[in-house]
Amino acid sequence: MGGWYQLGIVGLYGGLLALERRAILQAMFSRPLVASTGMGVLLGDPTTGLWIGVLLELFHLGGASLGASLPEHETLSATSTTAAAVLMAPGESASPALWSLSILLCGGSGSFGRWLERRLDADTARRAEQANTRAEHGALGKAMRENLWALWAPFWVFGGATVLFGGLGLLLRPVVTDLSGALMQGLTWAFPAMLTVAAACGVRGSRSREAGRWGTLGGLAALLWVVGWWLGGEGT
Amino acid sequence: MSDASDALPRIPRIVLFRVFLRSLLLQASWNPKGMQNLGLAYALYPALEVLYPERTALQAAVQRHLAFFNTHPYSAAAILGGVLYHERRIAAGQEPPSQAVAFKAALMGPLAALGDGFFWLSLKPAAGALSAALVPWLGLWAVLLFLVLYNAVHFSLRGWLFRLGLEQGDGLVVSLSRVRLPQRGALLRNLAAACAGGLVVIAAQRVVQVTGQRESALLALACVALAVLTYMRMAWRPARYVALYLAAGLAVLSAALIR
Repeated sequence: MGGWYQLGIVGLYGGLLALERRAILQAMFSRPLVASTGMGVLLGDPTTGLWIGVLLELFHLGGASLGASLPEHETLSATSTTAAAVLMAPGESASPALWSLSILLCGGSGSFGRWLERRLDADTARRAEQANTRAEHGALGKAMRENLWALWAPFWVFGGATVLFGGLGLLLRPVVTDLSGALMQGLTWAFPAMLTVAAACGVRGSRSREAGRWGTLGGLAALLWVVGWWLGGEGT
Repeated sequence: MSDASDALPRIPRIVLFRVFLRSLLLQASWNPKGMQNLGLAYALYPALEVLYPERTALQAAVQRHLAFFNTHPYSAAAILGGVLYHERRIAAGQEPPSQAVAFKAALMGPLAALGDGFFWLSLKPAAGALSAALVPWLGLWAVLLFLVLYNAVHFSLRGWLFRLGLEQGDGLVVSLSRVRLPQRGALLRNLAAACAGGLVVIAAQRVVQVTGQRESALLALACVALAVLTYMRMAWRPARYVALYLAAGLAVLSAALIR
């Protein structure tokens, strides 16, 4: 499945979620868990979106925009990683090996997104200045509309960035089919391995003063469940 | 209601609803200089048009809200309501225009700290970690759970804060302190840590399950050790990425060796 036309959907969705993340609503549609799953649903592979979303949600759990500080752009990271994984898949759905590969390739795009966001501040500063000037001259309606015009730049820029990273999937699709079996198996194992690390990032990202104690308690509870699961014969 | 309140100009409910809806675009033009200034003026504009039918008065009102403004985008609802509380009195000549400006300046810092602490640093991680932890059992429904859990609290508090500001003005501080958001936030952060900690073990179990080989228990143990190390070294900024790539490298190496 997949095709270049899908990049249009990827760009549109990436642009809209970038707006939701900072400019409109902020109802968490742009968090990795939701954004990745949504991208997966749009591209016909919700399972891929869901699991990539879980990993990146935990990895970016502590990220928050406090005052003028900017965290990594977890939305760009989530949407582009999922798009890359789904578009890379030669079959119906992406395998866990491709989830890992796309995380290794696009997971770091959040830092690039933060850099982009800083550059875009210049545009909004110009619009705010223009709104001030218009208000001084009595053009109040036009001054207020500058608030809406400011939405275009991040929509196009982040839509384009999502296409850029997500498009890697299409470019790499012919290469992926030639990868050795051992490497693909290793990448399959890599997904839960990386999930373990991402969950540890989540413990720290919880910002709890007693994160270590509560994380250990949660770990012990899960261990009891795992032991019960093995004893129940599920693990054989 | 007192005589003074009766003499105040009324803002129709539909206009108040428009102000609330427009407040969802508070950060549309966030900029380093005025921060949320244009977003605030944009949100208030329909109400200011009702309060100041005379053009020069309206212009003065808009301009006083184009000054620097920055707070948490959700708790800004309380300030929006409070500004309208004061603007009604300013329009009626009961207060000087500086009152609305002073109100904003006094509350934006404390409300930013309250909103950041509760919504960004407590509710968001807790809803995210809990939903992520439930994915193995709920599948895609966990995503819906995340949105419902988060937004049930988000929108109800946002609406309540707007009404609180509108009805109580400066008195909202007392009502707000009764809700004890910082204490509730601490509980949510502990929940997030416990869920993420549980996921470390579940993910390690998945390592063994996916590989289907007993030797891979060593890989699972190595991943848990790496997770603990990552937790301890998170103050070093690249630690997360180094650990992520290291875990992938370990898995690929193990696959090559076990084969």
